[in-house]
Amino acid sequence: MSGRAGPGWRRGRLGSAPAPAPGRRRLKPLRTVVAWRGRAEWDQVMVGLYCGDSRLQQDALDRVSAWKSRYGQKMPLAVDCTAELIRCKVLDSSGRLKSHELILSYGLALVRFVNLITERKQKMASIPLRQLAREVDIPIWVVDLRHELTHGKLPRLALCRKGCDVVLDWLRKTYWSRQLGNNLCEESEDEDEEEEEANTELGNDAWEIQTPQHEACQKHKEFHEKVRDILISYKNEQFRVMQTMQSASKSRELWSDSSSEMDWILAQIKDLMQENRESVAEALLSDGFLIPKMDCLKLLNIKYEANKEVWQFKIPQTFYCFWQPLLTGLLSRSFTQILIEKMFMELKECSDSSELRHQFLISWISELLTGIAKVNAGKKRQHCNKQVSVKELFLHKVPLQWIRLTDSCLEAPCWATPHLLQLILTVMRPRLSRTSRKNLLYLASIYTEGGAPLSSPGLSSDSSEHPIYTIESLQWRVRQENQVKNQGQTVEKEDDVLERDDGVEEAEEEEEEMVTETNPLEGLAHPGNMAAVAERRAALQGSAWQITADEVQWKDFPLGKLPGQTDDPDGLMLDNYSMMSLLDQPVRDEWKTLHTNSAELKIHGTGGLLWTQNDFHKIKSGLQLF
Amino acid sequence: MARFSSDCAVVLLEHLDTPVTRFLLSHPPLSRLFEPQKKEESSFTPEDAVLASVGIVKCSPDRGLLVSESMYLALEELIQACCAEDEGIPVVLVCGPKNTGKSTFNRYLINLLLNRLPAVEYMECDIGQPEFTPPGCVSLSSVTEPVLGPPFTHQQTPRKMVYYGQTSCEQDTERYLDVMKYVFSCYKKEVPLIINTMGWVKGEGLLLLIDIIRLLSPSHVVQMDVCDWKAMAPLTPEHVHLQAGLHTKGKQQPKCKQLDVGAAESWKCSEGEDASVQQYKLLYVHPEFPRAGVAGEARVHSGILRDMSIVGYLGHLQYPDIGAVLPLHSLVPYQVPFSAVALRVIHTDVAPTNIMYAVNASWVGLCCIPDEVRCQTDGPVLLTQTPVCDCLGFGIVRGVDMEKKLYHILTPVPPENLRLVNCLLLGNIAIPNCVLVGQQGIEGEIPYVTSDYNYSILGAGKLRKKKHFKRKDFTFECDYT
Repeated sequence: MSGRAGPGWRRGRLGSAPAPAPGRRRLKPLRTVVAWRGRAEWDQVMVGLYCGDSRLQQDALDRVSAWKSRYGQKMPLAVDCTAELIRCKVLDSSGRLKSHELILSYGLALVRFVNLITERKQKMASIPLRQLAREVDIPIWVVDLRHELTHGKLPRLALCRKGCDVVLDWLRKTYWSRQLGNNLCEESEDEDEEEEEANTELGNDAWEIQTPQHEACQKHKEFHEKVRDILISYKNEQFRVMQTMQSASKSRELWSDSSSEMDWILAQIKDLMQENRESVAEALLSDGFLIPKMDCLKLLNIKYEANKEVWQFKIPQTFYCFWQPLLTGLLSRSFTQILIEKMFMELKECSDSSELRHQFLISWISELLTGIAKVNAGKKRQHCNKQVSVKELFLHKVPLQWIRLTDSCLEAPCWATPHLLQLILTVMRPRLSRTSRKNLLYLASIYTEGGAPLSSPGLSSDSSEHPIYTIESLQWRVRQENQVKNQGQTVEKEDDVLERDDGVEEAEEEEEEMVTETNPLEGLAHPGNMAAVAERRAALQGSAWQITADEVQWKDFPLGKLPGQTDDPDGLMLDNYSMMSLLDQPVRDEWKTLHTNSAELKIHGTGGLLWTQNDFHKIKSGLQLF
Repeated sequence: MARFSSDCAVVLLEHLDTPVTRFLLSHPPLSRLFEPQKKEESSFTPEDAVLASVGIVKCSPDRGLLVSESMYLALEELIQACCAEDEGIPVVLVCGPKNTGKSTFNRYLINLLLNRLPAVEYMECDIGQPEFTPPGCVSLSSVTEPVLGPPFTHQQTPRKMVYYGQTSCEQDTERYLDVMKYVFSCYKKEVPLIINTMGWVKGEGLLLLIDIIRLLSPSHVVQMDVCDWKAMAPLTPEHVHLQAGLHTKGKQQPKCKQLDVGAAESWKCSEGEDASVQQYKLLYVHPEFPRAGVAGEARVHSGILRDMSIVGYLGHLQYPDIGAVLPLHSLVPYQVPFSAVALRVIHTDVAPTNIMYAVNASWVGLCCIPDEVRCQTDGPVLLTQTPVCDCLGFGIVRGVDMEKKLYHILTPVPPENLRLVNCLLLGNIAIPNCVLVGQQGIEGEIPYVTSDYNYSILGAGKLRKKKHFKRKDFTFECDYT
């Protein structure tokens, strides 16, 4: 039982660490915790369960028992059901059980399967089992078998066996073979359940939407879907128009001409906006709309340049024209506020500046702000220097809550922050004082200079390579110095430590979701820690517990993995162990059997707790003395 | 000071920056934990702006602490009882359905008492969301400082703690009672005791509560419930006296008397309970905050609170004098030989061959059993039953060295306690996903973390408990399929 399973099971497998395609950040599949170490183990267990050899099946069942421990209550239903059914088969082939006993075992496993699997599909009102089963392709006779088992005569063993085989096959086809397979293709459907599932735990970015109320969540999702549908119809309509013109550049003008179709779409969206503006903004910013996917750009004949300097804070014109009619229709005062804030929020979460999403967010914000600046300054729809075909986004003045926008802007620092901040500060009314504006801009550009060779031409090139220097760095440095002084070490050493730390910091900068405060030192190599470690070591003197002394770079090894260990779970299997029973502890089973035998005693009991294992143990040992 | 009248309060604001908070904030899903929730469209006054700059925002009135008339009266009575010298030390048991404000009541009571007494003891029987410890524990703590924040901000070492290993007790109520008794036996009746109970008060839960009341014989029972008493009947002493519990019998007329009278008598004596009606004062509290008593209406999901208290606990692994956060996996672990600590999986049967696989990268209770760990081989020692024993703290099994036969364990338990640990208990409480998923700077795959698992496939999810309960309510109507 080692290594990978046969290639047959690996159909449709992705690379072991699928790199998210550029621009698909939103749909980057959720990273979750599972009980198996990797796909190889998953395959191995699946093959083991389904192989037909009882010994291998038992091995696989043993592993599933460990999965169950790791998962706790979150054990996937399908795995549980499969294991229960396989257990019956193993028992059956062992020949240790008589047919009646086997029928009972199979029966319970089958009932559990039908109920548990279909219950997941139950909505608020209860739907007949048969209908649910039909929906998910479970043969009706299996449902009938369940009915017989629970409400009727016990069926014959042959039927139970057949039911078991059919159900196992169903599980293999619908769960095991599809799982860990090509889930990326099905993402749009997945999201709901995925989030729903993940919502109950702390392990993903879902903090914002942690409304525990299941229903509210569901409603939100349904609403989101509705908005998406309409946005998709908008896209389709624009593409249809384009097709009649044969080219994107020619259709620019036509796009903004109103048609009954377009009016209808706009009316629908506006309707939804009445209900929930936030969700509409959210949907607009999900992949495929204001933030295009690559294929969409291709269709519009737009070349995507990852180089941010080419962009100059502008949305490619064709793309701008594609969306302008919709935006112009939607951008009311309050919605503009919401949309821009949402964009900043998205920007904050989007850390890779070479991403499509990043570029488009910055450019859209910039376009919106420029549009507002124009319309607020009163240059309303005049033929500026632009081509006639480029229409403005705003028709009326839009006074916004500028302070809030400034906050959102500063919360999403990136290379473009100085530019965006400047736009905001210029448009905002009432204005901040000149010095505040200046200071804010300076601070913003100092803070973001590391990634902004574009916006800070005056700075020498080497300074941009340094990581952001914050108050924390200063405090840290002071502490460093104090500690070094305390220990009477030379200044040289201090520089050494600092330098080494810088190295680490720079390396970490490249991490995608790096939190700026984390500044991983090399474990306990820090002098202050060394003292603490020595103290602990002394306190453990003579005990079985020790501080691991090996020179291990622990930071290179994730939890659950030790130096030199492979990912093969078989390395953790035990062949040798001893069992130990406890003296002064309750012996549950013994107690139970006796307990049920002594019915009279039970009745006799008065107010207090009748028996606890401890008590019984005492009684028992007491009796032995006589 | 003379300028302040008696209804003035001075609020001291301090910047909350401790190793624990830094550690909490270093996890991406928690990074905005301390930021105020999105403000409603509120009119800004200059005072608001000043307060907002230090993180204080105006909340709508229904989000504050609402003390109802009944709650006020109950508090008053309890304070009086606790401060009176003559009547003996009160033992206050607080019960009621989920989301009726039990924890809030407890905290408020503790804080009020601490204005008058140097210390209060607190026994936590709500294993789902303990106040001072990670989830899954029954514990007895001595509280000397006011309880202000949510549980993850004040994780502390209790006087006595037992790791039950699950977040609910219905799977093994007998052990739950054993555990509770064990912890309660540590209470010395020197200062008032406040006992918090589970919100499970339906069906068996209510019976179990009756067992608990009988077992702990409190002097006051605070019953919190929304007005209609739908969820639970009033727990008057008479009711509890007559009603059978889950494991105890009510005072029904004994029908027959026979054998083993001696044994039963001696047991009764050892129990130290008398057969007469237990005397305690029942105090009703009707919460009046909006949505009180509506299950599932809590502001944050209980699973998230559990994860946060675990992360808060793990924050104590951070070194106090470093500004930066050290990732968990970069810390140097402790090691202990297989043969020195016994091992037991509480919540499920794991094939012994696979037990190290189950323990690896898992959350374990570090416990101390009175027995000496005996072992013929150098292999691990597996216990045949789950012991009821002291739990000294928790840790993460960072790795299992099969060659050197060592467990590597990360834990904030101080070494002087750690040397007493001779038993590892593995329960149903998992390391929070964000801890495993968020490991920074790892090359290659992180064990047990995947982005390939597809939850949308039928059967990929877990058993849904809520639905299960819902069906129970309709047992008589449906199931004619």
